[in-house]
Amino acid sequence: MNNLTVPPLIAFLFFPGGLFLMFGGMAYEWIDRKLVARFQNRIGPRWFQPLADVVKLLSKEEIIPQGVDRILFYLLPVLALSAALASALYVPIAGFAPAYSFKGDLVVTLYMLSVLTLCLGLAGANTPNRFALIGATRTLTQLFSYEAPFLLALLGPAIVAGTWTIGEINFYTQLHPWQMILTQPLGFVVALVGLMGKLELPPFDAPEAETEIVAGALTEYSGRGLALFRIGKNVELLIGLTLVSAFYLGGVGNPLLFVVKTVGLLFVMAVLQSLFARLRIDQTVGLWWRIGALLALLNLLVVALFRALA
Amino acid sequence: MEETKKFIVPIGPQHPALKEPGHFEFSVEGEIVTGVSIRLGYVHRGIEKGAENRSWVQSLYLFERVCGICSHVHATAFALGVEKLCNVSAPPRAQAIRTLVGELERIHSHMLWLGVAAHEGGFDTLFMYSWRDRETVMDLLEMLCGNRVNYSINLLGGVKFDIDHAQRDAILRGVDFLEERSHHYLKICTTDRTFLGRTRGVGTMTREQADEFGMVGPTGRASGNKRDVRIDAPYASYAEFPVKLVTAEAGDLMARFDVRIRELFESFRLIRLILDNLPQSELTARVPRRVPAGEVVSRVEAPRGELFYYIKSNGSDQPERVKVRTPSLCNWGSVTQTAVGSKLADMPMILSGIDPCFSCNDRLVNIQRGDNSQVWTWEDLRRYGIEYYR
Repeated sequence: MNNLTVPPLIAFLFFPGGLFLMFGGMAYEWIDRKLVARFQNRIGPRWFQPLADVVKLLSKEEIIPQGVDRILFYLLPVLALSAALASALYVPIAGFAPAYSFKGDLVVTLYMLSVLTLCLGLAGANTPNRFALIGATRTLTQLFSYEAPFLLALLGPAIVAGTWTIGEINFYTQLHPWQMILTQPLGFVVALVGLMGKLELPPFDAPEAETEIVAGALTEYSGRGLALFRIGKNVELLIGLTLVSAFYLGGVGNPLLFVVKTVGLLFVMAVLQSLFARLRIDQTVGLWWRIGALLALLNLLVVALFRALA
Repeated sequence: MEETKKFIVPIGPQHPALKEPGHFEFSVEGEIVTGVSIRLGYVHRGIEKGAENRSWVQSLYLFERVCGICSHVHATAFALGVEKLCNVSAPPRAQAIRTLVGELERIHSHMLWLGVAAHEGGFDTLFMYSWRDRETVMDLLEMLCGNRVNYSINLLGGVKFDIDHAQRDAILRGVDFLEERSHHYLKICTTDRTFLGRTRGVGTMTREQADEFGMVGPTGRASGNKRDVRIDAPYASYAEFPVKLVTAEAGDLMARFDVRIRELFESFRLIRLILDNLPQSELTARVPRRVPAGEVVSRVEAPRGELFYYIKSNGSDQPERVKVRTPSLCNWGSVTQTAVGSKLADMPMILSGIDPCFSCNDRLVNIQRGDNSQVWTWEDLRRYGIEYYR
């Protein structure tokens, strides 16, 4: 079972990096918004709404508030998006083999994915706006709460496959399609919910709770910066879904399997998004460290025991 | 902290949490609120003053516009007061229809609040569902009087519209549907764990605090305060169709959800009772154009609590003074009380927990400093308003 490969330059600019990710991310954002809207008995956006939003934001004036570091203000959205795009090079996007891979690229990819959140936190802390400051504090608090369990959960499949390379784990799970989901349901749940925390989706949307702190860390961003952050988040959604499907759902061997598995996951995430009331930030931290981290550790322990006995 | 510099989070006058303008400053340490200040008055419209140079009938329509949610109850309070001044009482069928529409309005108001409060807590699904179901009662009101907001069903001395058999059946069907949905919402609000995490033990007011701050309506009743104008001083036809008191003891946000949703069941019961025993009579009694001199206090139970009207007539065709005290004004004190020590994340829910209605409660208080003029004319008020916002 071999994955297809793509030439490097195309990999960089169009596929799987660059344009494909941006448009793919928008498509997934639309699916998410539409599903949540339908669950909430609303009509939801039309299919081109995410694209229209981005085009509108890009054409708008970017207002730079007084008292910010201008370089950081411009740099952070770019950094956030580029980190998210770069992490895609090590991930089997759309069922193709990762464009690049080396030993231990799993860890690098996970850190690249966290750069977006770090940039969000910095962007909030960079402005003197009080909503943005509180939003930044909450963003970073949330980062510290979900990151460890998320990482621990994703390490489970890596240990079972005996490699820290995303592409190889993907091969392994394709060869043993039922193994991960049957042996590591705990890890799967933690990883999926961790992804929701990472993307600040409800009920983990305390960092951008509009009824309390307007738009959280991004309150002062308008126009281009906001558009870049939003694209970055969409890209991260796509990559996160790919990772979870590759690790737990029997891998992504071709584009069809990729679409079926990631959209299936997105469906589950949309259900979870519309089921719960927003958690307070202290409840989020409590949930992750009391339950999430324990589950992930338990999962890891089981995996380690399994390895020792086998 | 020994520093005097406080970190203040302003909410309002424009803020996504607020559906109407008001200004709240929360000083916080981390996520904990240490102080609150409230500033109101952004939507003062001079309605009390405006009534003084309109006729009694025109004033009825003006007071119906004090509140967009509980418009009927304002008109009822005014009409009942004027009828008392004239020594006229509306025919029994008119009183029953007033009561019926009042209860339909209570259902609409409570369901609206349920959605808003859920939205403040980030539970948008409940928000969307409750507002979808609220359309049922809005359609019923529209069917009765042709309007969704200002029903305009009251006249001085009676009501405008009768209820026929088709309308009666439609109301009964709508009420059946809403009752079933309300059971569902009650279940969600009392059993859903994430939702309880946001409401249980949040913004708790004890019975003593509630009495001390003069809290009224469901907010007070959720703290065990046994006060309801419909029971204590029945007006319209609440004497013939008595209401049961709905209270809770906990005094937290969950108790307020509980009380408001259980009040819905009481309203459903009352609507069925009234429709089954609608008295036969005329719809209006004659009220003179010039109201005899005198003063009267008219109290009714609005969806948010006790609504108080003081009406003074000097025997002319215009009111001399009308004073309106809306329930929201009584309940603001509880916010300052419960906010301190709560988490910032709970503030939107605590604010919406009293079901505030901003434009209803904005009043102008003029403190005299040397100037002898006691009464402001409409022109004075207008000029002051323009200067104030300049």
